[in-house]
Amino acid sequence: MRFRFCGDLDCPDWVLAEISTLAKISSVKLKLICGQVLKDLQGEGIDYEKILKLTSDAKFESGDVKATIAVLSFILSSAAKHSVDSDSLSSELQQLGLPKEHATGLCRSYEEKQSPLQDSLRTRSLRLNHLDSVSWRVDQTLSSSELQQVNEPLVHLKFTVRDGDRGMMEPFAMTVSAEKFRVLLAELRQAHAMMKTLS
Amino acid sequence: MLLVLSEEHKEHLGFLTQVDSAVVGEFGRIAVEFLRKGTNPKIYEGAARKLNVSSDVIQHGVEGLTYLLTEGSKLMISEIDFQDSVLVLGFSEELNKLLLQLYLDNRKEIRSILGELAPKLPSYHSLEWRLDVQLASRSLRQQIKPAVTIKLHLDQNGDQTTKILQTDPATLLHLIQQLEQALGEMKTNHCRRIVRNIK
Repeated sequence: MRFRFCGDLDCPDWVLAEISTLAKISSVKLKLICGQVLKDLQGEGIDYEKILKLTSDAKFESGDVKATIAVLSFILSSAAKHSVDSDSLSSELQQLGLPKEHATGLCRSYEEKQSPLQDSLRTRSLRLNHLDSVSWRVDQTLSSSELQQVNEPLVHLKFTVRDGDRGMMEPFAMTVSAEKFRVLLAELRQAHAMMKTLS
Repeated sequence: MLLVLSEEHKEHLGFLTQVDSAVVGEFGRIAVEFLRKGTNPKIYEGAARKLNVSSDVIQHGVEGLTYLLTEGSKLMISEIDFQDSVLVLGFSEELNKLLLQLYLDNRKEIRSILGELAPKLPSYHSLEWRLDVQLASRSLRQQIKPAVTIKLHLDQNGDQTTKILQTDPATLLHLIQQLEQALGEMKTNHCRRIVRNIK
C-alpha cells in the first residue's frame, strides 16, 4: 500500500506496529503530546516530564513513551516533508487503523503548525557554508619601491564564512585592484539579475 | 595449549614467591584494575615502601601477572593448561591455586576488554542530501544540470568526521543499483550456506 505521507512508499513496519499504541491514549491527550512533539521538531526542545504525565493514565512503560514520541515525530515530519495536506493525512492514518477522533486531533495540530514546521525543516536542509558578513576598505596606493608615483585605488575585502558543521566563523580576506573589482562586480550583478528572475 | 613464558617473565614473576599469598591476591586485584582503567605508578611506590623492596620489582611483578592473565584470556586456555603453564614457575601449591582462581574469575571481563582493542574502520552514522539544478554559470547561461550533494557523517571510536560528495543522478542510480546487488548477494545459495554454518 502506498502512502503519500511516506513519500508514495510503503509505510514502515514499526509505524504500523505503534499505531495501536497511539490508540491507547485518549484523543485529547494525543493532541497535547502532538503539540510537544511539534515544538521539538521546530528545535524548541521537548518537555519529557509533561509527556510522561500525559501518558501515565494509559500506564505506558518508558519504551512505549519513547515509541509514541518516535512515531509521532516520524508522521509529522514526513507529512511536512512531502507537503501532505491535513485531510489526506487524516484519511491515510485512518486507513492504517488510527481511530477517527485521534486522526482528526493529530491532523488539526499538524495543520496549525505546517508552515512553521516546513520553514524550520528548510533551514535545516544541507548547506555547506554560509556567508556571514562582508567588510571592505578602499585604499589609495601613493608610491612603491618600484615606481615613485603610483596613485591607484585598492579594495580590501573580508568575508566571514560560517562553516556548516561546527558553526565556526572563518575570515577570508583578499585585495582586489580597481579593474578586477569592476569585473567581479559586473559578474555578480549578472548572477543577481538571474536570481531575481527565478524567485 | 601451553603458555610459554620467557626467562625474563619467569624472573619477574619469581618475586611473587617471596611474599605471602595475601599480597599476591592484592597484586592480582591491582593487575585487573590496571587492565580496566590504566596504570597508576603511585601504587607501585606505596607497595614498594610497605614491602621494603624497590618499586621496579613491584612493577615487574604486577606487569608479569597482567601479561600472564591477558595471554591466558587471549588464547582462552583451559584450567589444566593454565595450571601446567604456571607449574613451570615452581610456585607453591597455594600460589598456583590462587593464580588459577584469579584467571578464571577475570577471564570473561579481560576478553571483553581485549575485544575492544581491535582496529575499527569509520562506520556509518548518518546521511544528509540535497538536490540542486545548475541553471547558469559565468561561462554558460541557459543550462540544466542536476546534481545531488551528499554529506556523509562517519563515526570512528567516537570521533565524528564528515565527507562531502557530489554526483549527477545517473551515477547515483548506478550506485544504488550496485548497493542493491550487494544486498542481493546475501540471498544467494553460497551466502546462505555460510550463514547457516556460522549459526
